[in-house]
Amino acid sequence: MNDVQAVVKGNRAVARDTFLMDLDCALEPSLPGQFLMVKVSSARELFLRRPLAILGQGEGTLEILYKLKGEGTLELSRKKPGDVLWVLGPLGNCFSPPQNGESALFVAGGTGLPPVLALASRIGSGALVIGARSKGDIPLLDRMNSLKGVAVYPVTEDGSLGRRGMATDVLGELLAGAAGPCAVYACGPRGMLEKACELSGVAAARCEVSLEEYMACGFGVCSACTVKTSAGPRRVCSNGPVFDAATIAWGAR
Amino acid sequence: MNTSVRIAPGLVLKNPVLSASGTFAYGEEFSRLFDLGLLGGIVTKGLSLDPKEGNPLPRVYETPCGLINAIGLENIGADAFISGKLPELRSFGTPVIVNFFGSSEEDYALLASRLDVNGIAAIEMNVSCPNVKQGGLEFGRDPEVLFRLTGAVRARTGKPLIVKLTPMVSDIGAMAQAARAGGADAITCANTIPAMAIDEHTWRPVLGNVTGGLSGPAIKPVALKLVWEVSKKVDIPIIASGGACTWNDCVQFLLAGASAVEIGSASLRDPLCFTDIITGIEHYLESRGLDSVTDLIGKLETP
Repeated sequence: MNDVQAVVKGNRAVARDTFLMDLDCALEPSLPGQFLMVKVSSARELFLRRPLAILGQGEGTLEILYKLKGEGTLELSRKKPGDVLWVLGPLGNCFSPPQNGESALFVAGGTGLPPVLALASRIGSGALVIGARSKGDIPLLDRMNSLKGVAVYPVTEDGSLGRRGMATDVLGELLAGAAGPCAVYACGPRGMLEKACELSGVAAARCEVSLEEYMACGFGVCSACTVKTSAGPRRVCSNGPVFDAATIAWGAR
Repeated sequence: MNTSVRIAPGLVLKNPVLSASGTFAYGEEFSRLFDLGLLGGIVTKGLSLDPKEGNPLPRVYETPCGLINAIGLENIGADAFISGKLPELRSFGTPVIVNFFGSSEEDYALLASRLDVNGIAAIEMNVSCPNVKQGGLEFGRDPEVLFRLTGAVRARTGKPLIVKLTPMVSDIGAMAQAARAGGADAITCANTIPAMAIDEHTWRPVLGNVTGGLSGPAIKPVALKLVWEVSKKVDIPIIASGGACTWNDCVQFLLAGASAVEIGSASLRDPLCFTDIITGIEHYLESRGLDSVTDLIGKLETP
């Protein structure tokens, strides 16, 4: 992990309240699931950095996808090409690739798409379920559809795109219809993750979830993001954000 | 140029910049970012006798120029620290100052004796904790209670004893005097300021614990004034703690009467800020033609 300067190359809306930012940045190589702490302002008024997953990384470039959630992400959305940010990273652990012939099932909802899409792009096979309230909330659909070996299943609560319902409805069907072992990779609202864990348990599939919690430091020192697991308290930022879903004490918070 | 400062008999810091309790964990994570030996000293996360789980989430919330935290003093306990963390921490060549707390006078005294081991340079006592036997009133809010607590701990340790005061008192000078009379070698001034955040959409508190403590640059002017007040009342060294982010902030705290400054919330935002702050102080001394950082301590010129 390092604190490195990043220069904004592009920053544009790609879905409702959702922005894609391209950065020139010499960050150490990262793995799908890892994240950054982004200093959105050099002014001390916006004091804490924002934890944001890495969507993509190239030679000296970074891509982040973020949703407007508050003042920090609003400030980020105002950045113009040439503006400079500081990013601390890469932080946290990563997803583990499919093992022993597992088929990959990727599940994303809410703000959970970036790490899941980063992983799906890297693995290049399996099925990707993207859940959202409505069609206009789903970013980067073309990119998802361009992943050759990955079948994409959009699911919307209002039925405006793909199936009407929840991402986990489709996950349940994919698990039930799977011919062999599956690995489920999920990021999104806690309720969705808990359901994905439950469905994976029933289907005897391995399930990894990337958790999101309020955090202050992002590298393990402040203990703000400690979650309860069967192995004891774990910090989402430094022990995670990716966890074996079966170890999470879903009821405790 | 001499940047060293003396905090207690046997406790001299190579420079006046310390980490702060609760924002540095036990040093491991920062040691991967920079050489901890550059610091004047390391102040660890607060330890209790037994491990402590901490509060329900969310535990932090950003506010303008700072944050509110309600971590709940999550820690691994004194024994796990001494066996698992101290051996590496003491190898960095800078004093290890262990922050600790309890819920009764006996707890504090027992813990102080447990911490009386090689490799710990000093202990910093957090008195912003509820005294279970006194209906939950914090130890640091009553001068008589604080005097007795400090005395009880003093009797059980040979280490330099630093008492970290709470800002939530009407006369912080009197609290510093009570701690000094009880045997404190130095005072840390101060701690987070009780605060809360409310979500107007859900009508619920943001933090799992409902209330927390405000820190960061938002509280620096408050801390500066508290240090100045304490410096007028006691002759023992003061360690400033409250929102310092830059070398400028540190110089201001030194002028107000502090001998050293803890960097807390700033290190969450900028984990590499310590080196900038230390070199900033050096450059400042040089530019002012001062030989020693002690030339700044308490040199505020008031009308």
